[in-house]
Amino acid sequence: MSDDLPLYRRFLGGLGGLTRRQVRFPLMLIGASWGVVSEACRPTSWRRTVLHEFKTTLRQAAGGGLFSTLFTAALTGFGIVAQAIYWLGIAGMADTTDSLLATVLVREIAPVLVGVILLGRSAMLSLTQIGQLTIGGELRALQAQGIDPFMTLVVPRTLAMMLSSFTLGVVFSVIALSVGYGVCRFNSILTMPLWTFLYNIVGAMRPIDYLGIPLKLIISGFLLSLATQLTALDATRSDTLATLLPRGFARGILVIMVVNVILGVTVA
Amino acid sequence: MNDDLSAVLELREAQPFFGESGLTAIPYSLRLMPGDCMLIACRDPRRASRFADLCSGLTPLASGQALCLGLDWQALAERRAWALRGRIGRVMQQGAWIDLFGADLNILLQQLHHTRTPTQDLVDEAIALSRRFGLPGLPSLPPSRLSTADRAKAACVRAFMGEPRLLLLEDPVEQDTADMMTAFLAELTAARERGCGVIWFSREPDMWRGYNAEGTQRFRLLDEGLLPMKKVM
Repeated sequence: MSDDLPLYRRFLGGLGGLTRRQVRFPLMLIGASWGVVSEACRPTSWRRTVLHEFKTTLRQAAGGGLFSTLFTAALTGFGIVAQAIYWLGIAGMADTTDSLLATVLVREIAPVLVGVILLGRSAMLSLTQIGQLTIGGELRALQAQGIDPFMTLVVPRTLAMMLSSFTLGVVFSVIALSVGYGVCRFNSILTMPLWTFLYNIVGAMRPIDYLGIPLKLIISGFLLSLATQLTALDATRSDTLATLLPRGFARGILVIMVVNVILGVTVA
Repeated sequence: MNDDLSAVLELREAQPFFGESGLTAIPYSLRLMPGDCMLIACRDPRRASRFADLCSGLTPLASGQALCLGLDWQALAERRAWALRGRIGRVMQQGAWIDLFGADLNILLQQLHHTRTPTQDLVDEAIALSRRFGLPGLPSLPPSRLSTADRAKAACVRAFMGEPRLLLLEDPVEQDTADMMTAFLAELTAARERGCGVIWFSREPDMWRGYNAEGTQRFRLLDEGLLPMKKVM
């Protein structure tokens, strides 16, 4: 049948098909984001089952990810903060230390590293769990009981990850700076008290950073969780965990990078 | 409208899309009044599941109507459809358990989601039902770690929780779980007396050979559709 169509119509059909395939997931992500926000705003959405899932995910993502975040932050403090302070001092540019740390560490590195920790530790777990439910047909069991999987699983998990991202981001920044300060203080590179050091870095931040940094953490946690869960819900009969996990990971990383770049360019 | 006068479940020439449902795309008709029981013999459990999905409004229709408690599934807003499904107790054969949760939460999930009954009252009800079905209490292990017999009993506990208005039971009792037949029939009778409509699917019609309570109809679900079945005494 399609062979009877004129060449230009076949070309247009092919072009349309390609475009639809490429923009399908981003459009799904936008639609689902609106769905999560609108469901979260309804008081009747916060039923016992939804609250249970929210608390469980929050405990898993924020509580469970705390140690990984502390460890990564300590390494970052040792490897980046201390080195930056040391070498800027050697180069006679100690005055720029505060603004550099505020720009590089708090604004750029913290959201990306926290996003990667959340992706590996919680979002991939979510992807596996929901993927197994989708592939095994268990979501049907929820639907048959009148329980909307989107409202019961996706909404609370997305919001819990968003909150976890912000919490871990703040913890990461404070610990990385404190460890970097500790190393420099131990080596007598810095003599000022910790509070003065932190106050100087806060002072080096621009007012827009107070909006941009939380936005980066919140939006990347939100979209990262949603992208991996949508990947799981979108699984077809031919999918297995072996095909879902790489796809979810790639989408998760892409979301973290895109959010950080866009917000980095436009807001902070 | 008096609830007792409207059918609990009614299919009016309801024809599913073949590709969507896996059911034969022919019109299905049935009318189940409150307290009635429909025994449906079906050798293919997947077909029985798909038919139960059709009754639950989970299958899109090409034509006709499917109504539950007088409400048309197709015309119902999404939120109201979810709520209406919350009034249906179901024993499922495939993908019935969510292994993310323990069996206890699996059993309580529907009531926790759709009602505001205090959790402790729900737990008490579940424990009482569990004991009536021969379980020592409310099972808390993940469903995959329960024995087949205990899972079948837990499935019945879940279906009968919260006084449902419609019961869709896919092979609730089989030969290897026949020891719970007495408890099951007692609960079934109590539910029917409350006005609950029941559809009981079975691969082995022998399982309900002795069940001849008033208001019981027998059918066979085949490729050709839903066909009446001769009563066997």
